[in-house]
Amino acid sequence: MKFPHINRRTHLYLGLFLTPWVLMYGVSSIPFAHNDYFEERDKALGVPLWTKTFDGPFDLGPVTESGSLKQLGEPVVRQFKLEDSSYGVYRQGPNQINIYVHTFWKSTQFKYFIDEKRLTAEDRRFRWEHFLTGMHARGGFEDGRFLHTLWAVLIDAVCLAFLAWIASGIYMWWSLPGLRKWGWVAVLAGIGSFSIFLYRL
Amino acid sequence: MSLLLRRIHLYLALFLAPWILMYAVSTFVMNHRRLFHGPPPEPPPQYEVERELVYPGEMPEGATPQQVALQLLATLDLDGAHAVARPFTAERVVVNRQDAISPRRITYTAADKKVRVEKMIFSGAGFFERMHRRRGYQHNYVLDDLWAISVDVTIVALILLALSGIWMWWELWVTRRLGALALGAGIGLFCLLAAVL
Repeated sequence: MKFPHINRRTHLYLGLFLTPWVLMYGVSSIPFAHNDYFEERDKALGVPLWTKTFDGPFDLGPVTESGSLKQLGEPVVRQFKLEDSSYGVYRQGPNQINIYVHTFWKSTQFKYFIDEKRLTAEDRRFRWEHFLTGMHARGGFEDGRFLHTLWAVLIDAVCLAFLAWIASGIYMWWSLPGLRKWGWVAVLAGIGSFSIFLYRL
Repeated sequence: MSLLLRRIHLYLALFLAPWILMYAVSTFVMNHRRLFHGPPPEPPPQYEVERELVYPGEMPEGATPQQVALQLLATLDLDGAHAVARPFTAERVVVNRQDAISPRRITYTAADKKVRVEKMIFSGAGFFERMHRRRGYQHNYVLDDLWAISVDVTIVALILLALSGIWMWWELWVTRRLGALALGAGIGLFCLLAAVL
């Protein structure tokens, strides 16, 4: 097997394997790029986005400025049996800690009021654009659990595949002398307009 | 049809290579946040003072912070996509001027008419994240609209590249079996992760 053949096949099979991710990143970019449109459309429905499911006393113990926020959220996530989901903990203010628990299908937001030792839980209504943007924005190796890490590894694979597709695509284009002229036009037009954006944007 | 699809696949990809390259690198950077930004919490971006001056003109009586921002940017020759930082007060207006390479923070204090222009210290990771997250349609600037259009074109191209790739694969009899295996494995793994994560 010669290099051009390996190059073509790698370009093809890598593309086929990663097709769902490429399509997902493409489609999910639409609600990101046109966020105002989707928000207005949803607002027009007149249905609240969040529904309160819990409001009551909860003691997280002493909350220090320097302690790990992630650890602070652990008992809440465990209590509500959401430990399989990924979650983030943020300090909303001096007296409030927010915990966001997120799966592709469901989001729950907890608010812990330190002074009152009170916790509220709200579930977010399912929206397809949130499902897509949630997938798009998911990443990172911080979680450490196997499937979460696998997702992050696949994101790296998609990134590297894009580089490989560009390199192998350029190689294949260069191997077809009849397409060089228009190919150059496309390459230079792309680099030129992108450079203008970089310089002026 | 087949030839047309092949040509569109090729030329579209060649034209959009810089965008795809930027999105690939920036995604990698965001996927390895700890490596590029250090352990959380991430430090805020660093600025250096570029110039300080006393505002030479007069702000209109009762001008809103947004109007002050527009006038400031025009005077400083920095007109472009920007956002006024909260809280909105007439006494102190902070304007974040977007820029791909060097975003600026402009602070105006009404009492002494002082203007401080600070430039963000360049960081490669920050640059790629800014480019990745940059939108356009919400600003009143033609160049930002053009950028937003280029992002839309990249979105359509991504979908088109994937679908035309499937078409081209299907035309190649010899690659159908292995191709189906690759596509099936990809779809299977994707559905599994979509269901459980």
